[in-house]
Amino acid sequence: MYVPVERVEANLLEIGFLLVGSSTIVAEGKFWKRMLYVNKEETISVSEEIGDAYPKDPIITICGSRNTILSVIEGVKN
Amino acid sequence: MPLYECNENQFVENIRRVIESSEKFVVNRKINWHDDAKYGPATLPDSEFEKYAILFVRRSLRSTVLSRVPFVDDFHKRMYDQGENLHASSNLKFPRISIPYYRVEYSINLWGGTYFFAFDALFNPEILMEKRRGKLLGQDGSLIHVLKFKPPDENLLNINLPKGVMVFDVKNMIKVVDYTSNF
Repeated sequence: MYVPVERVEANLLEIGFLLVGSSTIVAEGKFWKRMLYVNKEETISVSEEIGDAYPKDPIITICGSRNTILSVIEGVKN
Repeated sequence: MPLYECNENQFVENIRRVIESSEKFVVNRKINWHDDAKYGPATLPDSEFEKYAILFVRRSLRSTVLSRVPFVDDFHKRMYDQGENLHASSNLKFPRISIPYYRVEYSINLWGGTYFFAFDALFNPEILMEKRRGKLLGQDGSLIHVLKFKPPDENLLNINLPKGVMVFDVKNMIKVVDYTSNF
């Protein structure tokens, strides 16, 4: 399923997360934009690959609690 | 002692599995500052290069980067003139202007092996206009673009580990004792 990062970001804002910072990192030989979102209880990071490789794999990775990830998946499907 | 490299997902998932097995462990984190010309402007993706667009110009990714205007690199205490070659396409491994970064390494030692996840976090550019004095800028000083590098916020260097996991910050791993040879 192709989901643009903007949709994930919009969904995170909808469920109460706020963007507190972003940084460019290099991991596994690829450039990523790493964004940090926080709500009252949880801090999650969203990383989007920003290099020139195509197709991007994976495009977005999210590290967060199971509930947050499930609600993001549900949110971007709709 | 073998070293096993993981990506972020693998590293976090491995820790979750270790917690399930009730094994005791500590996660070590090492953050080192580097400025070794590993990253230069010609190899930055377009979205990152745009942050430098006031000062640098290039045709496309991995093309030669030239300075658009004269500027002072405050971090390395150097001045560049307009049109100066900052990163040649024919010499991509040796940029003339280097982007500093933090090398962040998370690791756990388990059953005689070290499992680690590492990444580099680039410093963010900050471009200002400042009045500077010097040989080329005159005694009274002149307004000139100044490039500064700001380290990323420390919370952006954190990875999401399960609750209750202890993270120890370390300077370096000096010596690895291999107890497996006793068995």
